[in-house]
Amino acid sequence: MTETFVPPLLPKSFGGGVDPVSRAAAERRKEEWNAAVESVKAQSFWIETGKRFLRNRTGVVAAAIVVALALSAIFAPLISPYDPLIGQPVDRLKDIGTPGHILGTDEQGRDMLSRILFGGRLSLLAGFVPTVAAAVIGTLIGVIAGMVRGVVGTVLMRFMDMLYAFPAILLAIAVGSALGPGLTNTIIAVTIVYIPPVARVAQSSTRRVVVQEFIEAARLSGASRARIAWSQILPNVLNDIIVYASGLVGVAMIIAASLSFLGLGSAPPAPEWGYMLNSLRGELFTTPLVTIVPGFFIFLTSVAFNLASDALREAMDSRL
Amino acid sequence: MTEIPENTMINTTEAGLAVAPPPVEQPSATLPERPLMELLNVSKTFTVRSGGKRLTLSAVDGVSLRVREGKTLGIVGESGCGKSTLARVITGLHSATSGEMIFDRAQIPASGKRPKEVIQQMQMVFQDPSSALNPRATVGESIAFPLRVQGMSRKDVDARVTKVISDVGLPASYSGSYPHQLSGGQRQRVNIARALALQPRMVVLDEAVSALDKSIQAQVLNLLTDLQRDYNLTYVFISHDLNVVEYISDEVVVLYLGQVVEHAPAKELWENPQHPYTKLLLSSIPSMDPDDSTRDQPLDKDSSEIPSAINPPSGCRFRTRCPMAMDICAQQAPPPIETSDGHLVACHLYTEGSQAAA
Repeated sequence: MTETFVPPLLPKSFGGGVDPVSRAAAERRKEEWNAAVESVKAQSFWIETGKRFLRNRTGVVAAAIVVALALSAIFAPLISPYDPLIGQPVDRLKDIGTPGHILGTDEQGRDMLSRILFGGRLSLLAGFVPTVAAAVIGTLIGVIAGMVRGVVGTVLMRFMDMLYAFPAILLAIAVGSALGPGLTNTIIAVTIVYIPPVARVAQSSTRRVVVQEFIEAARLSGASRARIAWSQILPNVLNDIIVYASGLVGVAMIIAASLSFLGLGSAPPAPEWGYMLNSLRGELFTTPLVTIVPGFFIFLTSVAFNLASDALREAMDSRL
Repeated sequence: MTEIPENTMINTTEAGLAVAPPPVEQPSATLPERPLMELLNVSKTFTVRSGGKRLTLSAVDGVSLRVREGKTLGIVGESGCGKSTLARVITGLHSATSGEMIFDRAQIPASGKRPKEVIQQMQMVFQDPSSALNPRATVGESIAFPLRVQGMSRKDVDARVTKVISDVGLPASYSGSYPHQLSGGQRQRVNIARALALQPRMVVLDEAVSALDKSIQAQVLNLLTDLQRDYNLTYVFISHDLNVVEYISDEVVVLYLGQVVEHAPAKELWENPQHPYTKLLLSSIPSMDPDDSTRDQPLDKDSSEIPSAINPPSGCRFRTRCPMAMDICAQQAPPPIETSDGHLVACHLYTEGSQAAA
C-alpha cells in the first residue's frame, strides 16, 4: 500500500563471513543498505498526497481540465478572437464549425467562443469565490462549535442546521432575490448556502480531533485556546474541509448558473454561462448545437471539479 | 506499519546516554527527601446525565498523598478507579472540585490557569503513543511546541529539541519524521522527549508503557530510570500493571474507587500488604513459576463486580467485595492509619484497636 517502508539499520555485528572476501562483501552490502535506509527522508503529508494524486489517472485528467479552464478564463482577453459584447447582426445564429466562428454565434451575432472564454471568468468566479469564502467562514464556525461545548456550540450548530434544512437552490433563490440581481449578490447567496455544510464537516472533524491526547498535551504546555485551534486542530481538520469544499465548486457553478438563468445572476450583456443558456434557449430549434455549448461547459467544469475532488479525497484518505 | 526494532536504535539505555554526566553521587541523595508535591483531601466529581437525570460521579474522592522529590510514586488500581482522572487533576488538565494541592511549598490555585512556573515544572506523558502526537506535525515540531508557547527563542528551541531527542535515545534525524513513520516505542520516546523539553521537575506518567509490548516496555522503563537519575526527576507513575509499578516505584499508592486505600514504600507494600484490596491485587499477579498455578483467591469469589462511582457503597467503598467486611464498614469510612513507618492503610481491621480505646 502507500505506507513507506523504513527498514532497520543493520547492526555493526552484521556481516560476519568465513573468509576476508565474503566479509568484505557483506560489509559493503551492509553499508549500501544502511545508506539506502538513511536516505529515506521524512516526507511531508502534502508531498505524499501529491504523489498519490499523480498516480490517479482520472484525477490528473480532471485536474488538467480544471487548470485549462482556469487559464483560458484568466487569459480570455488575449486569446479570444472577438469582442464578446459586440455582435455582427449579419452573422447571427451561425452553426458550430462556421469558419471564423468555431463555436458559432448567438442570437445577436456575437462569437460564442469569445463569450464562452469571457463567461468562464464569471462562472469560475461564481464557483470559486463562494466556495473559498464558505470554507473559511464555515471552518471558523465549525472549529469553534467543535471546541466549545455547551450553549455556544449548540446555538451555533442549531442555527447552521436551520439554514441546512432549506434545499440549497431554494435558499440561494431566496437570498438572491432578496439581495437583487448581480454577480456579487449571487456569490453572497451561494456563500450563505455553503456555510452550514462546511461548518458541519469542520465541527465533526474538530470533535474527532479534540479528544485526542495531543490536544491535552498542548493544553498542558499552557497554550491558549486560539493557539491550540490554529496550530493543533486546524492542520488536522483542513484536509477534510479541502476535500469537501473542492467538491462544492462544481455545484456552486451550477447554482450560480441557475440564478443567472432565472435572471437573478449577472446582468446582461455580460457573458455568463447560465445566462447564455437562458438567452439562447429560444433558438434551440434553429441552432441546437450552439445552444447547448454553455451547458456543455457548465457540465464539463462541474464534472472535472468533482472527479478531481474525488481523486484528492482518495489521495488524502490513505494517511497512516 | 513500519517497525524499526528497538534494539537497533543508537543510544539505547543499555549503552547509557551519550550526554549523561558521569555517575557521581547526586546531591539529592544526601539531602533529606522533602515532598515536592502534596495533595490534601483532593476530590474530583463529574456531573453525568443519564435518562434526563443529573448524577454526580465521584472519580477522585478525598485523596491525600505526597510525592517525594527525586522519587517515583506509583499509583495502582483497577481500571475505572480514577487513576487517569487523578493524573489530570495533578497536572491541572482537570480542576479539582475540592481540596488543596501544594507544589514546591506553594499552593496551586484550585482552578483557572496555573502559574507559568508550575506549568513548566510539571509535565505529563500520555498513554496512547499514537494519539498523543499531532499526526500533522513532525517530531521536532511536536517537541518544540511547548517551548514556543513558553516564549523561548527559535535558536534555543532548536538546541533544546536536539538535546532531548538524543536524551531519549533517538537519532537527531528523527526530528523531521512524522509520527506515523515511527514505531510505538519510538513514539513513546518522542512523547517523553516532549514532556522533558520544558525541563520539568516532576513528570506524571499516565500508563506510559501500557500500550507497548513487554520488551519495549523494559527499554522505555530503563530510559525513564536513567532520565530520573540524570535529571533528578520526580515521577508519578500510573499503571494497572503491578510488575511495572513494583519495578519503578519507590512508594506506591493503591487506589480503589477514587480513594486511597494503602500508601506504602514499594518494597514494604509487596512484602507486607495490609489492606484486603491490596492483598487481592497482589495475589492476582500471575506467577512466573510454571509449577505454581495461580491460586483461586477467596477474596474475589462472590462479587467481582466493581461498584459504580456514581453511587458508591456507604462507609468503606471496598466492603461489598471484602471478605473481612464487618458491620462498622458499612457505617463509617475508615480513616488512614499508620501501621508502620510510612505505611498508611485505610481499613477498619487496623482501626479496631483505636476504636475500642476511644
